[in-house]
Amino acid sequence: MKKLGALIAVLVLAAVAAVGLASCGGGGGETSGGGGGGGQKGGTLNGTYASFPDYLDPALSYTAEGWTAMADVYVPLLTYKHANGAEGSEVIPGLAKELPKISNGGKTYTLFLRPGLKYSDGTPVKASDFPFAVERMIQLNSGGSPFYLSIEGAEKFAETKQGPISGIKANDKTGEIVINLKAPRGTFTNELGLMFVAPLPKDTPIEDLSANPPPATGPYMITKSQPGKGWEYERNPYWAKANGKAMPDLPEGVVDHAKMTVIRNPETQVDDVEKGTYQWMQNPPPASRYAEVKEKFEGSQFRVEPTISTYYFWMNVNRPPFDDVKVRQAVNYAVDAKALERIYAGQIKSTQQILPPGMPGYEQFELYPHDMGKAEELMKEANPSDMDITVWTDTESPNNEAGEYFNEVLKELGFKTTLKQINADNYFTVIGNQSTPELDAGWADWFQDYPHPNDFFQPLLAGESILQTNNGNFAELDDPAINEKIAKLGEEQLGPEQEAAYAELDEETMKQAPWAPYGTRTLSTFVSDEIDLESVIFNPTFGHYLSSFEFK
Amino acid sequence: MSTEPSAERGPWSLALRRFLRNRLAVAFLGLFGLIVVFVLAAPLWANHVADTGPNEEHTVEQITVDGEQKDVVSVEGKPIGPQWFGAGGKFFLGADSRLGRDEMVRLMYGGRTSLLIGISAALFATLLAIVLGLLSGYFGGWVDSLIARTLDVIWSLPVFLIGLAVGIALAVGGLKIGSLELSSGSLWNPILIISIFTVPYIARPIRGEVLSLSEKEFVEAAIAQGASPGRVMFTEILPNLASTVIVFFTLMIANSMLFEAGLSFLGAGVQPPNSSWGTMITVGVDLLRIQPLLAILPGLMIMLTVLSLNIVGDALRDALDPRGKARMDAALQFEAQAGAGGGAAI
Repeated sequence: MKKLGALIAVLVLAAVAAVGLASCGGGGGETSGGGGGGGQKGGTLNGTYASFPDYLDPALSYTAEGWTAMADVYVPLLTYKHANGAEGSEVIPGLAKELPKISNGGKTYTLFLRPGLKYSDGTPVKASDFPFAVERMIQLNSGGSPFYLSIEGAEKFAETKQGPISGIKANDKTGEIVINLKAPRGTFTNELGLMFVAPLPKDTPIEDLSANPPPATGPYMITKSQPGKGWEYERNPYWAKANGKAMPDLPEGVVDHAKMTVIRNPETQVDDVEKGTYQWMQNPPPASRYAEVKEKFEGSQFRVEPTISTYYFWMNVNRPPFDDVKVRQAVNYAVDAKALERIYAGQIKSTQQILPPGMPGYEQFELYPHDMGKAEELMKEANPSDMDITVWTDTESPNNEAGEYFNEVLKELGFKTTLKQINADNYFTVIGNQSTPELDAGWADWFQDYPHPNDFFQPLLAGESILQTNNGNFAELDDPAINEKIAKLGEEQLGPEQEAAYAELDEETMKQAPWAPYGTRTLSTFVSDEIDLESVIFNPTFGHYLSSFEFK
Repeated sequence: MSTEPSAERGPWSLALRRFLRNRLAVAFLGLFGLIVVFVLAAPLWANHVADTGPNEEHTVEQITVDGEQKDVVSVEGKPIGPQWFGAGGKFFLGADSRLGRDEMVRLMYGGRTSLLIGISAALFATLLAIVLGLLSGYFGGWVDSLIARTLDVIWSLPVFLIGLAVGIALAVGGLKIGSLELSSGSLWNPILIISIFTVPYIARPIRGEVLSLSEKEFVEAAIAQGASPGRVMFTEILPNLASTVIVFFTLMIANSMLFEAGLSFLGAGVQPPNSSWGTMITVGVDLLRIQPLLAILPGLMIMLTVLSLNIVGDALRDALDPRGKARMDAALQFEAQAGAGGGAAI
């Protein structure tokens, strides 16, 4: 009896301990990324953004702020693994049961919706909500529309705004969704993972819903939004009841409630996170505070996060003097990436190629190591007759300083320059409009839309991307050989062979030197001492996941 | 027997005497003179001491300070602080930003730009104001109504906001009207904006004075002798406006410098990489916590220059016309009454 009593006592103690551990354990225990766990479940996360996202509507948002704000709210058919770094670039099933079955020579994508899913208002998620979401996005003229115009009938829909899109068939009974493309598109799987086309209930108004965001499918829902000021999250009541069980790969989140406040002065944001008034700032500390914050808090409250981005100076290959490849190569030799690292206060890592580290297909090379002698030699050989150039940059620090630096480099090479600094809010609109005069050279950057190397070639360097307005090919490169390779690779599914081909394309394009790339940007995670830094996930596509934050 | 000095001295000599009696004004005139010398010495300092131009970047360079090698800009992007004479005068006030430009050199060259814009804009505004004030006050009637109402319209506008909008537009596209072409980075852009928008501040008091002077006997006598309107305006009335014009011109330099600083701070004035004290404050604000001097120094220079010009301007008014304030008030009152009358007539 004594032994039985002891056994019962041990079992009771073990049960109590297990219950205790479970209640203390982090909600992110099932997450595939992050090294946290063991923190407190529940609580309110007070975060701060330097600006209100462009939209709090999944169909419309096309900024890092918007995607971060909604990453745990709207789940597309496919999504990205909740993990840091390269692991986070893996496409995984979201509302769909599995990754798509691709057939018909890469033109047909078949997916099945997981059964039993519900929106945060209790409405069941149906397969036909996907074509509705695509149509709504196109009707709203979303910046994401071009990704989906390769669907049969989508272009016609964009013109007439009369549905349905013939290339999408959805069966609400079986959950089957069949998408037919006009031509094979190797990036389409990645594009299905963007929240532009996250399913929404069919009664969702065809208007910008940033002030009253539509119902959620993720673990959190946005309950209050005050554009310009901030917004709040609560747990999605149907996550625990339905969606969480259907999508076990996605974390349920740890905090119960979150409140995001816009504080436009990043200095104040840093002070507030240091004091603990806010537990997280979405944007990195300003350059003037970066070194101080890094030195003081790295490892405990601060972490440098790599991004898949390229910062570069473009040169218009159709206008003298940059119509001469030797001049463009001279500029590449003259630009000193080390100087730019300092201008960006250490928030940029030098690189001299189009594809950034972390992007499939990236293979490091250095065609133009900084060498002013070589640059001057090439300039002598080229002997350009037109030496008057206009250099464009935006007003946001430190991009404005990068532009000033580029301006001085060009002066050193003997050019007579005029520097134009344009307000950051409309900089890309101005330089993307071909009627803007004197578009000779300037600054630009590009962050991946999704982890596919085509995203750095097709919109930025393909001849067909040269547009009268909203042009993204600032260098106006229209090289038939490069165009052909971009088009061919764009149709193929990404594999080791294609990655090697993209690496070759990268080097081949840089031999033409339409850009002088100088770095890839690093961002950061900065949290107060109450938050477990280890648990926070920074995904290369969506940024910080709200579901990964937990209190110590 | 000594002669009574005031009996021999002319009005200008008396004014100078009165001005020199104002010790504070003399001290601030001296300070303004020092500031002018400071900015005029910019090429000397740049070429013979700092050995760098105002826009030359030294981001990855090192300098020797007391035998020790120091980065001009650290790897973390922190610009070097004031070195005084530790590096032989190089980076005397440190580097201006992460571009590693010499702050002292830029402060001197920036002062030249700020003063050039301040003086030029004040000069243009004053000249335009004199012409408009004379025409308006002398001719009266529809000429007066047209000019006075136009000035009223400009005065009623949110001048700084419009100046900012125009400044940004010119900073992007420059200006091209017929054969007149100004590039986007031209210093003439802020000069034009400031002078046009500040004209009413001088033209209206001048108009008031002209209205008052037009009724004086010496003007009536000149008209009676058959003098043309141009002759009356420019030889009879204008000399009597000298004290008002000098005072306003001095004060307008100060105002124009403040206007320029504001426009440049907001990106609508002097365009980078050129410096003015306003643009230097913008650059300095970004580094306020780690190098506060970068924002404080150009701000201090603006403050001292504007303060000295205001004190000198006030002293000049007192010196040139001891009853100036009373007269100025009377002129403004007269002008206001005349303006109200004109309005009623319309």
